[in-house]
Amino acid sequence: MESIRKLIYYSILITIFQYVYCDDFKEEIFLKPLPPTHLYGYFQFVTLVDSETSSFHSHLAPRSLTEVISRFQVEELHLTLTEGQWRHHQWGYPVLDAAPGAELYAWFSPDVADVDTQWKKLTSTLSGLFCASLNFIDNFNTVTPQMALWPMGAVKSGQNVTSQLRYASLPREIVCTENLTPWKKLLPCESSRGFSSLLNSRMIHNTNYHSIGVHVRKICKSNDCSETQLEIKQTVALVYDYDIINSNDWSFRKLFGQGLPGACPLSSESKIYIDITSNDTHAYTLTPPPDNIIVSQRGGSDTRLAVYNIKADGQMINIGAKHNSKPDLPVSIPPPLHFNRYILGYGKEFGGIVTELTNNCWTSINVVVLENAPWWLPLQLSSLRVNGQAESSLVLSQYYSPGRSRQKPYHLELLIKLPPRSTTTVTIDFEFVFLKWQEYPPDANHGFYVGSALISANLPTARNYTSLPIAGTTFDSVVNASKQWYPIVFRTNGAMVSLPTPDFSMPYNVICLACTVVALAFGPLHNICTKELVLKPLGTPVSLTQKLFNLFKKKRD
Amino acid sequence: MGVILKYVVAGLVRYYLIHLDYWQTIANRVEIATPLNSWKRLMEGVYLYEHNINPYEGDSFHESPIMLLTFYYIMKKVPFILPILFTLLDLLTAYLLYKTSQAFIRIFKESQKNNISEVAEESKSMLLNDDQLKGAAEYVLSVYLFNPYSVLNCAGMTTTVVQNLLVATALWGASSGQRIVACVFIALATHQALYPVLLIVPIAILLADVNKGCTKCSYIRTLLVFVLSWGFLIYLSAYIMDGSYNYVYNTYGFILTVPDLKPNIGLFWYFFTEMFEHFRLLFVCAFQINALALYIVPLTLRFKREPVLLATVLIALSTIFRSYPCVGDVGFYLALLPMWKHLFSFMQQKFIVGCTFIITSALGPTVWHLWIYSGSANANFFFGVTLSFATAQIFLITDLLFAYIKREFTLKHGSSRQVDGKPAKLVLR
Amino acid sequence: MYLNNVISSVLLLIATSFSITSCAEIPEQFLKSNHSNNWAVLVDTSRFWFNYRHVANVLSIYRSVKRLGIPDSQIILMISDDMACNPRNPRPATIFNNAHEQINVYGDDVEVDYRGYEVSVENFVRLLTGRVPPDTPRSKRLLTDEGSNILIYLTGHGGDGFLKFQDSEEITSQELADALEQMWQKRRYNEIFFIIDTCQASSMYEKFYSPNILATASSLVGEDSLSHHVDSAIGVYIIDRYTYYVLEFLENVHPNSKRSMSEFLAVCPKSACLSTVGVRRDLFKRNPDKVPITDFFGSVRPVIITTDPINILDAPKRKKKPENKTKVPEKREYLPQFPMHLVQNTRTG
Repeated sequence: MESIRKLIYYSILITIFQYVYCDDFKEEIFLKPLPPTHLYGYFQFVTLVDSETSSFHSHLAPRSLTEVISRFQVEELHLTLTEGQWRHHQWGYPVLDAAPGAELYAWFSPDVADVDTQWKKLTSTLSGLFCASLNFIDNFNTVTPQMALWPMGAVKSGQNVTSQLRYASLPREIVCTENLTPWKKLLPCESSRGFSSLLNSRMIHNTNYHSIGVHVRKICKSNDCSETQLEIKQTVALVYDYDIINSNDWSFRKLFGQGLPGACPLSSESKIYIDITSNDTHAYTLTPPPDNIIVSQRGGSDTRLAVYNIKADGQMINIGAKHNSKPDLPVSIPPPLHFNRYILGYGKEFGGIVTELTNNCWTSINVVVLENAPWWLPLQLSSLRVNGQAESSLVLSQYYSPGRSRQKPYHLELLIKLPPRSTTTVTIDFEFVFLKWQEYPPDANHGFYVGSALISANLPTARNYTSLPIAGTTFDSVVNASKQWYPIVFRTNGAMVSLPTPDFSMPYNVICLACTVVALAFGPLHNICTKELVLKPLGTPVSLTQKLFNLFKKKRD
Repeated sequence: MGVILKYVVAGLVRYYLIHLDYWQTIANRVEIATPLNSWKRLMEGVYLYEHNINPYEGDSFHESPIMLLTFYYIMKKVPFILPILFTLLDLLTAYLLYKTSQAFIRIFKESQKNNISEVAEESKSMLLNDDQLKGAAEYVLSVYLFNPYSVLNCAGMTTTVVQNLLVATALWGASSGQRIVACVFIALATHQALYPVLLIVPIAILLADVNKGCTKCSYIRTLLVFVLSWGFLIYLSAYIMDGSYNYVYNTYGFILTVPDLKPNIGLFWYFFTEMFEHFRLLFVCAFQINALALYIVPLTLRFKREPVLLATVLIALSTIFRSYPCVGDVGFYLALLPMWKHLFSFMQQKFIVGCTFIITSALGPTVWHLWIYSGSANANFFFGVTLSFATAQIFLITDLLFAYIKREFTLKHGSSRQVDGKPAKLVLR
Repeated sequence: MYLNNVISSVLLLIATSFSITSCAEIPEQFLKSNHSNNWAVLVDTSRFWFNYRHVANVLSIYRSVKRLGIPDSQIILMISDDMACNPRNPRPATIFNNAHEQINVYGDDVEVDYRGYEVSVENFVRLLTGRVPPDTPRSKRLLTDEGSNILIYLTGHGGDGFLKFQDSEEITSQELADALEQMWQKRRYNEIFFIIDTCQASSMYEKFYSPNILATASSLVGEDSLSHHVDSAIGVYIIDRYTYYVLEFLENVHPNSKRSMSEFLAVCPKSACLSTVGVRRDLFKRNPDKVPITDFFGSVRPVIITTDPINILDAPKRKKKPENKTKVPEKREYLPQFPMHLVQNTRTG
């Protein structure tokens, strides 16, 4: 009785909100088994706000975030906090890829003249909002990608988008409960109701990969795109290892520690999509059975999605899968494009970064590779080799911005045409820099993290592709969304180098010793220049015993 | 015949080393290549310039735009002559040093003749005859050609080879009385590495001595030509960089503020690695004054009659105290020392200095390897070695100066060390 | 529109430190406090996994003050290293005070304000004295005033007269005393309760010279503060003795508890702590026997209800925004997500 009354109350409220404010909130879960051993879970909470009426008056959008957006005139914002490394080769492609650690990029409105100042303010503010050390983002670790990143939102026609973009990543950033807490507070139902109540920090941090994100962009309200809406998308990506949950048969209770207590009453749509394409090879049964099954044909690959419509009736739902037979050995079909990145060299003097890009398609793929080396890892552009060649015909376009110590990172972008069925190797050398002793972090010997490279690809096929089409907001837009190209931005694995360290306990000794040597020169030169040589008669030679005696005599005085 | 053989052998050794498989290793050694002069950075700068990226925007290139343009054209037109070019430049440096020392001997003989009245009777035998003097030039040549420091410097193809040539030309120009040559080349050297600016003082004195006539006019003329040509070079560099003076931050600024703390054989790197941030500016100023300004006035006043000695000492001191020294700089001033071989008998610390040079030269690469590659030593080891190397050089220079004033004293007062029949010793007062 | 209306009678809840006439909540035996708000600065200064116990220490206090009513916005929590999600932690996102996993002090809604490398001496002193960079977000500022009671809790490795931060720098007792004096001069606090759990901890408060500070330390000069017990599941000591007993004590304190500060100061006798708990009372004007523990650990504030009408006619009018700006409908579009122009050019060219 109580729940029904609540339901009616909420639905009346929602109707009112929708009429008055045109706000909309949708929550979705996308689950995809990654045979044989992993399960990908992707949560997406979308809040749509009419940006024409002020977003301050929204009842669903988090005010703390919309205020930041409007105050700093941000057109589009992407923030992810990630722990772990997505294994593209094994797992295929995620809906949204994220670099390990913290990653933030934003486009500012064309009205913003001093983008760098605004960017610094934005990062400081976000650091407070998400309990992350985003305030460590400064000019020396920020780049302006020229080719790799493009706004996902609708932009004014003919606008120069690149100059308003800033990108930074903090590969060392740790992601834990303190980041999830403020993230959950941005949701209309917080963590009390709806899908977000599944996000129990003890369970989601017990995964191979977890990533939380906030993506804000402006989307077209209508086809002619004269009006826009603000889309605030909060995402969580998780990759569970069957070994950690101790069984191949997963269920919400095993994954999240509890069942799903219904939808968020404020949401207009709460759906769970389960990719059951792999059911053909790894047969399993879903309990309870899905409400319906959609077959989607997209870019030459068929996907079957089981759909659950969840209502806000407060009933516990525990969706699970039970495998019918023992899993067979899987035949892993690698995705159309995968890559690997590693550091070359030994010692702490010179090294190199290698990025290997493998194209498994029968057609060539165009990719943009963005290498972003911190200032303490100076790249040498003259050592750039693509497949061992200095001037490769595969490189269609190149952008390089040399770094400056303590001011600017090294930023290299290459537009490469990957030939069909081939591996292309991009190598570039770097030198280790010797920092000042106070610039080393407290755990200097832990090593220094080098951020991921960005790989922006224009895939000709949608195999392994799970991302939403650009105009789409929810998962139903994936169905039969065939396009000519399937653009996606990947992050390679990060790397770690160990810089040579000085002795941190030596400052006084070194200062004294070096100054002594300088004084060794100054003393004699001063004598030579200011004094003259004279002959001084020697006294009668004094014997050693006499000297000692004199010494004591003096003391007695 | 013997001289030509020397050149040929030295040239072949250099050329062979450049074509060795280990050339890369030599060119990358911290003792040989500093961020300022390394071949790798020169190539990076040329590469960036070729690809229309301003090399001075980043932090990888610190040569002057004139060098950039020169090497850009060489790399573009005739890249294959580079090994030959570097070898020849180094041999030319040796030849010019040889000529300089010959000119010096001429000057020395004249001044010895002029000052013979001041020499004590019993010290007359100490005056140098032609045979003794003639050998000096040969020694200068041999030391420059076969000194491992110079050889490795050339084999590493560092731009110090060019700098040595410029300084050697300037010295030769000064000792043969060619004002324009001396001034222009010292301006070129200054434009490249800043520290040779010190040499304008001995060169001015030398030019005045050689050219006779009005001393002050000569000083002013020398200074004027130098300033004009230096200014012109600065302007020319800006012209190459499309009128932008930003290169100054990456050349002079880089030398003066020492932002790159990569180890080298000098004193700066570890000192400024371990420096407390709020004292950095103070000590950068103190060290640069020490290298650039501190000794020039007193030494000039004391040794104004010996401009060549003054030049040698100033080159040596600026090598020891400069922010990015390399063994090429050391090799250069070591080659000048045989001109003073008549002072060697007055030097007291030859053995210590010699041993320290040998030991540190062997230990330096060893501890570097232990620190950077095998991780079994730390920075203090390498610092200790560079510290002793600097100390040895300082001892060498101060010992040389002491030897000079001792000889001066002995010439004037005779070699007896007695006062009123009692034994006495030489002391500074 | 309705902002302009005159609200004739309003029932107002005013949190005020003055004009307290009667208050039922505060027990009679206690002295009246002048404070109007409560803040807490909780700092763990140690990095590295083997210092797990220091994180457990600071989170124990965090848990207690949060439970006793200080909101997260008024707690500045500084943690130098990530223990909860450390790869070495077999129980991700948890930190326990006990090997039996009794209390997960990390909780499900922790908010860490300064973490990792941000925890430095400079940031700590800046936080206290309020000299933070202009862009600093609210959650990283100590926005206290002259009515604030502040609980400062420090834990880490220390020695006679210093406390190490991140194992690489240290704050001296003099620096800390000067920072507190600056706070006093800038009227940033009413009273401070200072707790420190480190070796030779009492040396840290000996240099204090500013008024209204009550300080306690887990050990005297020359003594070590010891840890409580080891958890073999994670292989490190799990919590320090002093804080362990403090947490045990605080778990039994409730927002309307009648416990006094002197009970808190005697929480860990030498038999339990194995070190002597030091207390410094001379700067503190009130008698700790008469000070309720919630003056520092809770957020119990005197509240008076007024029924008198308050005229808020003078409320400043909001400036009306110049509306109806001729809005040119901007043509917007989605861009291709790839530099297609560069690819096509090369194809044709």
